[in-house]
Amino acid sequence: MTVTPTMLGQVIISGLLAGSLYALVALGLGLIFGVMRVLNVAHGPLLMLGAYTTFWLFRWFGLNPYLSLVLSMPLLFAVGAVLERALVRRVVDAPELSSLLLTFGVAIALVNLAQLAFTSDLRSVEYLTGSFLLGPFAFSKSRVIACAFAVGITAGAFAFLQRTRLGKAIRAVSQSRDVAQVCGIDVERIHLIAFGIASALAAAGGSLVAVMVAIQPDMGGIYTFKSFLVIVLGGVGNYPGALLGGLLLGLVEQLSSLFLTTQVNEAVAYVLLILALLIRPSGLLGGRAT
Amino acid sequence: MRRWFPPVLVAALALLSVYPLVATGYGIRVMLQLFMWIALAQSWNLISGLTGYVSFGHVAFFGMGAYTAAILITRTGWPWPAACLAGGITAMAFALLVGWPCLRLKGPYFAIAMLGMNEVLRVAASYFEGLTGGGSGLSLPTMHTSVPIYYGMGLVAVLVTALTYLIITSRFGLRLMTIREDEVAAEAMGIDTLRYKLYAFGLSAVAPGIVGGLAARDQGYIEPISVFPLTTTITMIVMALFGGKGTIWGPVLGATLLFGVQEVVWAKFIYLHQLLFGAIIVAVVLLMPRGILGVLQQRYGLPRTI
Repeated sequence: MTVTPTMLGQVIISGLLAGSLYALVALGLGLIFGVMRVLNVAHGPLLMLGAYTTFWLFRWFGLNPYLSLVLSMPLLFAVGAVLERALVRRVVDAPELSSLLLTFGVAIALVNLAQLAFTSDLRSVEYLTGSFLLGPFAFSKSRVIACAFAVGITAGAFAFLQRTRLGKAIRAVSQSRDVAQVCGIDVERIHLIAFGIASALAAAGGSLVAVMVAIQPDMGGIYTFKSFLVIVLGGVGNYPGALLGGLLLGLVEQLSSLFLTTQVNEAVAYVLLILALLIRPSGLLGGRAT
Repeated sequence: MRRWFPPVLVAALALLSVYPLVATGYGIRVMLQLFMWIALAQSWNLISGLTGYVSFGHVAFFGMGAYTAAILITRTGWPWPAACLAGGITAMAFALLVGWPCLRLKGPYFAIAMLGMNEVLRVAASYFEGLTGGGSGLSLPTMHTSVPIYYGMGLVAVLVTALTYLIITSRFGLRLMTIREDEVAAEAMGIDTLRYKLYAFGLSAVAPGIVGGLAARDQGYIEPISVFPLTTTITMIVMALFGGKGTIWGPVLGATLLFGVQEVVWAKFIYLHQLLFGAIIVAVVLLMPRGILGVLQQRYGLPRTI
């Protein structure tokens, strides 16, 4: 197969569009991992709940899927906060094995609950179809708009982390919990807020992909995995690194799709993860030592 | 160990070895599945229970064994016991190959890398159609009876439990548990941690490889999604955790209890299966991190590793 410059340009742009969503979702997972040292395996299932929120609001009330962000994010913030208070808080100081298994259990249970409540039928939000045409390139409208929202929300999250007192406190806990505590930061409250924000970011991702892909109870697992890949690429605790990692993953996936069948392309992310873990475990930009 | 335990164990094994003489076909199939789960949970326990390195992709070795055995049986006409053994050896070789880089990764990194390995294998099994039949799978010649498989599975379950006993009561086991408790301290004490983790990982892949082959032989048909499902990994983890990870009898107890409950009760609530598994994992992690056996040990003052 010959690759023309037009095709290359098309996949690069598609890659960046997809990557912005990966970055948004991964930022949430990275936040929890950085602040609490917990790998939240239930991050993808939380995204799935966000997607269903958008779907039902659209189905019942005809609510614009992008407007539903205003509801899905606070809703999942609350779900995340409850999860943190009820379960995750108890294993923060336990060996990593415990938190990993605990959130794994939560993930399985959430997926099964979604199957019971919503059935396993594939759902879709048929809202925005068609493409923008720009010269030789065509961009799916839903992806362009999702990318714009993802960039906006991610920028908002960064501004929050960089500028506000609360954001600074979160970063402080992420850098050193003990020192933060000595400085008078209520670490438990920061954990709660970070978990809530991370869940809200997952929900935002879910609401945005709801317009683009089939919604089903086990759609989330792949996002947990890809988000983990993104934070490994970017470096743990390195939040700007997560952006770079997300864009890189999007690009690599789109580029490899030129040469590989869809089925094999699924494995690209996994191969990339294993390579990244082995070659540069501290991330592209360097992060905290693992 | 209590004095009554060895005679009871011998009696139980003797009963199980004559069970096929009186059992129905259904009874034999149920028991052979129980043996399979004991072997799988016990194998997961060998790496994850002893060293603390959680493998989220252990079903990969099951699938690897299933495909190796099925390919040898259908394409080269190997007798099935040899093919299943070859499945175990292939799985071990693969574990050593993958473990050499991946066991340097700590905590969640290792867990996720294993998850990834399983996905890559599943895709590979679909992709190399010439060898594996791709998505349409492989059919094996039919068997008239499951009795040989019953003995095969039972033997693997007994051997892997015996292996766990030997490891836990040896210096090797002590080294593994030292790695689990504090890897840096283990290294400071001169333990070549990577080497011992690698040994444990390799050993933990043998039994899944063999039972994968046996299961393929028994079911007569395999395809990528039937031998690499994440739910199998979940089930073995839940069984080992529920019984008590890092012990000899915990995985046996966990597999027996959960499999029994599953056969009797949950067959009626098939839709709640995963929810209950998830709830069990959460409850065990929060309330009894050492499993049912841990609770019993505490109550009756038994040694902590049995």
